[in-house]
Amino acid sequence: MSKRSRRRWVDRQEFWGFLFICPWLIGFLIFTLGPMISSFVLSLYKYDLANAKFVGGENYRRLFTQDPLFWKSLKNTVLYAVLTVPLGVLGSLLIAMLLNQPVKGVRLYRTLFYLPSMVPAVASALVWQWVFNADNGILNQGLAFLGLPNIEWLQNEKYTLFAFVLMSLWGIGGQRMIIFLAGLQGISESYYEAARLDGAGTWSQFRHITLPCLSPVMFFNMVLGLVGAFQVFTSAYIMTSGGPNNASLFYSLYIFRNAFEYFKMGKASAMAWILFAILLIFTLIQFAVSKRWVHYEGESK
Amino acid sequence: MKKSWIGIISLGVFACSCSPDPANSKIRIRYMAWGNPEQMALEEQLCEQFNDANPDIYVKFLKVPGTAYANKSVVMLASDTAPDVMRVDHYNFANLQKKDFFMDLTDLAKSDPGWKKEDFFPQTIDEGMVNGRLFGLNVLFGGTVIYYNKTLILRAGIEDPYALWQRKQWTYDKFVETAVTLTKKDSQGRYSQFGVSIPTFPSWTPFLFGFGGDFLNEDHTASRLSDPKTVAGLQFIADLRYKHVCAPTPAQGANSAFTFESGKLGMTIDWMGMTPRYRKAVKDFDWDVVPMPTGPVSGETIVKGNQLVIPKHCKNPAAAWRFARFITSEKTEQLLYVKNRRCFPTRKSVANSPAFLDSTLAPTQIHIFLDAVKGGKQLPIDDRWSEWTTTMNNELDNLWSGKERDAKVVAERAAKAVDKVLTEEPGW
Repeated sequence: MSKRSRRRWVDRQEFWGFLFICPWLIGFLIFTLGPMISSFVLSLYKYDLANAKFVGGENYRRLFTQDPLFWKSLKNTVLYAVLTVPLGVLGSLLIAMLLNQPVKGVRLYRTLFYLPSMVPAVASALVWQWVFNADNGILNQGLAFLGLPNIEWLQNEKYTLFAFVLMSLWGIGGQRMIIFLAGLQGISESYYEAARLDGAGTWSQFRHITLPCLSPVMFFNMVLGLVGAFQVFTSAYIMTSGGPNNASLFYSLYIFRNAFEYFKMGKASAMAWILFAILLIFTLIQFAVSKRWVHYEGESK
Repeated sequence: MKKSWIGIISLGVFACSCSPDPANSKIRIRYMAWGNPEQMALEEQLCEQFNDANPDIYVKFLKVPGTAYANKSVVMLASDTAPDVMRVDHYNFANLQKKDFFMDLTDLAKSDPGWKKEDFFPQTIDEGMVNGRLFGLNVLFGGTVIYYNKTLILRAGIEDPYALWQRKQWTYDKFVETAVTLTKKDSQGRYSQFGVSIPTFPSWTPFLFGFGGDFLNEDHTASRLSDPKTVAGLQFIADLRYKHVCAPTPAQGANSAFTFESGKLGMTIDWMGMTPRYRKAVKDFDWDVVPMPTGPVSGETIVKGNQLVIPKHCKNPAAAWRFARFITSEKTEQLLYVKNRRCFPTRKSVANSPAFLDSTLAPTQIHIFLDAVKGGKQLPIDDRWSEWTTTMNNELDNLWSGKERDAKVVAERAAKAVDKVLTEEPGW
């Protein structure tokens, strides 16, 4: 290779781009794409770590037709996602708007609201076990103060899923809130000034300026929230182990149980790919619907 | 400048490579186990003792947290990277053995003149045997007994369960009577003390045996959960909570509200290995142990150990066997089970030794352990244990939570679900 052509190659932006993302790229190929491909291959096998037998789509067929726990775990997870994603996104938006107010000590408030998401998942699960304690938990004490009866949050299967939804809201001040805050701060003050001059009230400003300008951020948070909700695992694993009576058996927990407790690696891999397909479909739907409500600045319609 | 740096680094690398290696020219083997810090410290000490006494072998001790242990050991076994000797929880032993991960130790045992199976309690040998071949050496063996708060018994003015047991009157009726008497409410009407707690699975199994019930039939092809004897046992357990109201419900007992150490529990059913913990944690009351009460059919308790195994592809089986033998030797058992009371000895000579039976610290009625083990029954742990017990326990949750009060209804559903697991081809 001549010196000239080498220089030209080195001068190319793509070369430097690839060079700098190399560590990530190599990591992605080895630790993400590689396992994904092997898990797909495994999903076509009946594999118990010692013996592997090719069975084609049998793992998938049995999951759909013969495994009631597959459906139960899917139902639990969908219900959890349907409740936590909108509530979580709205909660994060609300907190972000409060923390975007020009009040004294706002930086301290931002730090304080962010703190819960710094707590490791295991530690927060243990704390929430106390919050949900039927006899002495702070939640039931609050209910008692309002004259309401005690609820066995984690012991009565009627309430277990809602307990997890409630617990998920503890994280509304986390990363999602920071993204909303960044989005809010990116909205030009001139829009609000113009609106105020036209006599727009607070609600009108929120409805016609804040929401449309924030819609890309909201869309991003919805997509990530949904992916996160479908992967809920740690809290249920620690707090209830899927019980009582499988009321908190989430999809990821059932994958884990099949893989590492029953060593049904083929079945677990098939479940992982079904989850991937579900998430892909939901995300594509979100993308399709987003064209109607997400507005990008500078976008021509 | 650059050259001098390279020189310094090279010197450093050379110095490191020349540092004396204590294990140089020895057969290196690895041993893996889990446990609480006290147990780990003792096992570390044992490895050092072994290394000192065996100049040709060097054992490296791998400590793995209990929460990650099962997964790690499975992955290591499946990828042929498992250590030369490892402890396997007996709950997983049958499953892993069926996958052909373990070395058959029968010939190693036969060719070792110092190892005689008659030296051990028969259940400890049975647990490590599969189809008449030896695959594991038993460690951390024991059974469940009742730990009881003597101070509460004395305060309540009722007869000590140990005295009742001595007179052969420690029956289910007396057990319930004692538990009910020890249950108390505070001035606001809230339970401040319970007579007994229902232990987690499988520690409540003796109540099934007590009525002549069991989980599975003999060849493990069908469940026996809907057998009236098993149903009677399940009903007895549920009644402790919802009929006699002498045991906390899951909600009342959440977050360890009524632990034995807290002094708010009259009796608890637990493994013999809990002794060091209670000795350490209990400060302000007297306690001791008594066997499980005698039911209409039996008073058998359950026994279970863990297995020391040598993976099939171990490169130094002779060295690994020597180490496994050392861990199950009389000297080691004296340290683990007599001096430190970690669990119960697997060797009859140790369990019958005056040093073991003479306890100045609680439990002073230590011979109860020996009697319990002698009559102890093994759990039906097979290669699908995890699967069918999870299925069964999910159904039984309805009984334990009080959602369903009739054990027969729950047991029939559980039997159906377990039968489905047992009849379908494994691995799907």
